[in-house]
Amino acid sequence: MHEAKLMRDLMAHITASAEQNGGGRVTGVHVWLGALSHFTPAHFVEHFEDASAGTAAEGAAVTSEVSTDARDPDALWVRVLSITTESG
Amino acid sequence: MAVETRTIRVDYLARVEGEGSLYVRFRDGALEDVRLAIFEPPRFFEAFLRGRALAEAPDITARICGICPVAYQMSAVHAMESAAGIVLGGQIRALRRLIYCGEWIESHVLHIYMLHAPDFLGLPDAVQLARTHGDLVRQGLRMKKIGNALIEAIGGRAIHPVNVRVGGFWKAPAQDHLHALLPDLRWGRDAAIKTLQFVATLPTPDVEQEYEFVSLRHPHEYPLNEGHIVSSGGIGITPQEWPAVFEEFQVRHSSALHARVKARGAYLTGPLARYSLNFDRLPPAIQQAARDAGLGETCRNPFKSIVVRAVETLFAFDEAIRIIEQYQEPTPSFVAVEPRNATGHAATEAPRGLLYQRYDIDGEGLIAHAQIVPPTSQNQATIERDLWRVAEHGQGMVDSELQALCEQSIRNHDPCISCATHFLDLTVDRA
Repeated sequence: MHEAKLMRDLMAHITASAEQNGGGRVTGVHVWLGALSHFTPAHFVEHFEDASAGTAAEGAAVTSEVSTDARDPDALWVRVLSITTESG
Repeated sequence: MAVETRTIRVDYLARVEGEGSLYVRFRDGALEDVRLAIFEPPRFFEAFLRGRALAEAPDITARICGICPVAYQMSAVHAMESAAGIVLGGQIRALRRLIYCGEWIESHVLHIYMLHAPDFLGLPDAVQLARTHGDLVRQGLRMKKIGNALIEAIGGRAIHPVNVRVGGFWKAPAQDHLHALLPDLRWGRDAAIKTLQFVATLPTPDVEQEYEFVSLRHPHEYPLNEGHIVSSGGIGITPQEWPAVFEEFQVRHSSALHARVKARGAYLTGPLARYSLNFDRLPPAIQQAARDAGLGETCRNPFKSIVVRAVETLFAFDEAIRIIEQYQEPTPSFVAVEPRNATGHAATEAPRGLLYQRYDIDGEGLIAHAQIVPPTSQNQATIERDLWRVAEHGQGMVDSELQALCEQSIRNHDPCISCATHFLDLTVDRA
């Protein structure tokens, strides 16, 4: 459930960012997974699919960068680097 | 109309804050109240399961927890087989024990290195631990990865495995596939000894608590999947008798259920209880390693739970190696389970404690009622009692110091609550 709460926070920001930048459907999300975040890319995608259902980001392709640096100040967390939107 | 595609730089850090809260009230120099609230969304899993086929239970219950999905699967399949009157043996039984070893390794190592060790060194989190003890954290990460690899080899996925089914496994791993894990597991066993030696040096308060310990006990083995439920207070029952002896109840201040021994009160499940009730079931070499780390045959100091967890990590590596060395692929990989109108119960040992499940199954194999009692709810009342004692002791501390001690006390017991309480919202009412 830790992941669910984190994912909710992340989804709120993704959809808000899309809205602030002209709206449209989110077709891609690029994330950075901290070395101590306990996410694997596959596990992250599963949670993303659940959290994005019914939102503008449903069906978005997720790509990940997996950090191995446990000393990074954000190693415990997940960072959304960019999103791709499609409108029109 | 032309479709416009845009890539937007976001660079947003997602994090979790304020999932747990602790309220402490002092009046006229005396502690009056301690309330721990865990704000988890209601899970509704028991309701999800109603009307679903019994075969779906392992996949649905695995979704309850990303740290201990195997525990939920194991209790579910054993409960379903109990309802069907089936007891599995041989290599299917061994594989179930093996996948549980993988879960104990990844969960215990996560708890020891990422959540608990920083407390003892006065560090805020694992990131800071990585800066001061880089080699140690790298060792922990590799150990955890080996536990996950073991789960993946048997379960098909490292998190929320999909290969577990009622009656066995959808597909048994090939012997050479498991043998390929042995070099890493042997490295992990050595690393577990080093881990035990490290945590034995951590400074711990010299306290002993009067817990009623509750765990499984098996005639021959350190318990994972099977055994009677026993306690230091004299309980000795089958899992079928859990509802007659224990009960869940609600408290006003938390959405998480509490549990108690009927007519008696709070109890503790988890590593301290398992170890203290089953020391004689550990292999002699691991008993000796525990003694070398300063433990006796029982342990009632909650701050020493990190040492007990390290003993169990060593046991899990050792047991995984033993099982794989004797492993032969079972054919078939499952036995068919014919549904019948019955109730099934099971209790297994999740890394953080006893996990009980009960299912009423109808004649068509559909779940009519499900009850899932995780260790978190069973330990909640005891954790509050620990916090009460900590708050009494820490009355003169500044709030930040008291908060650190309270968080550490919670992390003595439970990695799941630990996630929440790394961001504990403490209110000290001294008015």
